[in-house]
Amino acid sequence: MNKNNIGVQRGSSKNFIEVAAQSQPPELEREAWSLAGEPKVTLAAEDVRLRYTIYADSPGRSFIRGRRKRQSVPAVRGVSLIVREGEMVGLVGLNGSGKSSLLRVLAGSEPATSGYVFASSQPQLLGVSAALVPDLSGLDNIWLGTLAMGMDPDQAHDAKDKIIELADIGHAIRQPMRTYSSGMAARLRFAISVAAQPEILMIDEALATGDAAFHKRSEDAMHELLDRSGTVFLVSHAAKTIEDLCTRAIWLHKGAVVADGPATEVARLYRFFAHALANDNKEGADKALLRARDEHPPTTFQSRGSTR
Amino acid sequence: MASGNHRGTGIFRRSISRRLSPEFKEELDGLPGVANLKRVGERPRIGNYLADLWDRRLFIYVGARGEASTSHSRDRLGLLWLIIRPLLDAVFYYVIFALLLKVDRGMDNFIAWLLVGLFMFQFTQRSMTAGVTLIRSSKSMIRAFAFPRASLAFANVTRELLLAVPSFVTMLLLIALIPPHAWPTGLMFLMVPMLAVQLLLNLGLVLFLARLGAMLPDFARLMSFIQRVLFYGSGVIIPITRFDMPQWVEAVITSNPLFVMLEMYRSILVYGEAPPAGDWLHFLAWAVGAFLVGFVVFWWAEESYGRE
Repeated sequence: MNKNNIGVQRGSSKNFIEVAAQSQPPELEREAWSLAGEPKVTLAAEDVRLRYTIYADSPGRSFIRGRRKRQSVPAVRGVSLIVREGEMVGLVGLNGSGKSSLLRVLAGSEPATSGYVFASSQPQLLGVSAALVPDLSGLDNIWLGTLAMGMDPDQAHDAKDKIIELADIGHAIRQPMRTYSSGMAARLRFAISVAAQPEILMIDEALATGDAAFHKRSEDAMHELLDRSGTVFLVSHAAKTIEDLCTRAIWLHKGAVVADGPATEVARLYRFFAHALANDNKEGADKALLRARDEHPPTTFQSRGSTR
Repeated sequence: MASGNHRGTGIFRRSISRRLSPEFKEELDGLPGVANLKRVGERPRIGNYLADLWDRRLFIYVGARGEASTSHSRDRLGLLWLIIRPLLDAVFYYVIFALLLKVDRGMDNFIAWLLVGLFMFQFTQRSMTAGVTLIRSSKSMIRAFAFPRASLAFANVTRELLLAVPSFVTMLLLIALIPPHAWPTGLMFLMVPMLAVQLLLNLGLVLFLARLGAMLPDFARLMSFIQRVLFYGSGVIIPITRFDMPQWVEAVITSNPLFVMLEMYRSILVYGEAPPAGDWLHFLAWAVGAFLVGFVVFWWAEESYGRE
């Protein structure tokens, strides 16, 4: 598959964010936008690549004979993007397409094998993991988490009530976190992460285990963050969620960006794609993928990417 | 487009700029907010790192206290184990080495000598054990929040100190009560500087071992062996220097900081004599050296500890 789309005709009906982020608008136009209070860039990444070194069974290896081979597996294969304040970016893609890996690189928790990520402030990544410190109570975890994010004691104290309210897990807040259900733990971790009012929040499937009431609360909290000129990244298997919530969607396929554009369009095409795959309709899936790629080509800054 | 006015700020800082493609720089140049972008997941300068650590001092203390208070929460006897375990060890070693092997011939207070050696050695040993698996056992905190990872090592030694206080008191009581009594003397206050230097040594070891254990998980398997070598090589239970041995072995043993440390503790607590200045210097030099080496070694891989 041709990952690079330089030369592909770009769509014309895009909002200013896409225009500024991925095309080469005339200089005058760009100046005009900054005069009009163009949203600030909060995150930029150039040609980010990530490889994992793993030991995998070599083909034909039986239980007893055969060696495990050391190999390097690409997880993210050259992703470039520019994201601005007020954007809510959804990442869609099949299992193993590199969504979580990309998010972890963008958040700085996994060093990229090559490429650079820049951000206006340290992104706060909310991943899928159970408890923070399992033996400590929810309250102690709040205290510890707020201090870990760099709050001073007064700020941490002020944040506490808000976190308890947002998490809304009742008396469980006094129980050890290891006794929490996955939904309760996700609520608490989300509430702690939002409390620091991060400029950039990255959510990796962490809300999937929440109930309807919590979805409403977390959406409100995310919108509040966007209104404060923040940026939100959201990974979800449910493309419908991305379509409903996000302003922009990035479609990852085998570690590379296939399409990058308005969430309503890219996520919808991804849904067609996933639906077609589920029904063994290979042709339909390819069609949806190609269409998404042609209509919303990803950001690329250089031509050298295509040769690698 | 001229990027001259940005040089020296944000991502146009010289050292970073030359590694970026011209297209990427051109794309970003002039966009609002670009000057504020900072590299994500970059190892901070060591000065900033120290300042960050100082800012997290309450986090370190709260983390240490939380872990200390819950470290035995699943045991019925709880924190009593802090006293029971070293006592069992002491009884066992006394039976083997004093009653059966009679290595105590010619020593006037073997029990006190043994107890001080055992309790003080175990203080360092426990830190080392936790140090090797420090990164792995703190995974959920590391994933959830961005904080200087060395705070985990500081929290670790603080926790061990909090947990060791009851066992120190037990040790002092025992050597005073068991005949021939080693009553506390005016020199007891020397315990304080001794403990301070030992803490510094422990911290250096934890930092160093944490990096080693994170890079090379196999090292955890080797740890119990290394500790056994140290145990016998530091004269914890056998008055090792009373045996005939080649000169180079004796040189290695007497330069071992843990051997020197135990001799100093025994001199203060059992024999009521101030350790010679040479021992102080020897021990302090090792501790400061271990801390400096450990700190730099740990900091060097700061950005990589979040790796899966």
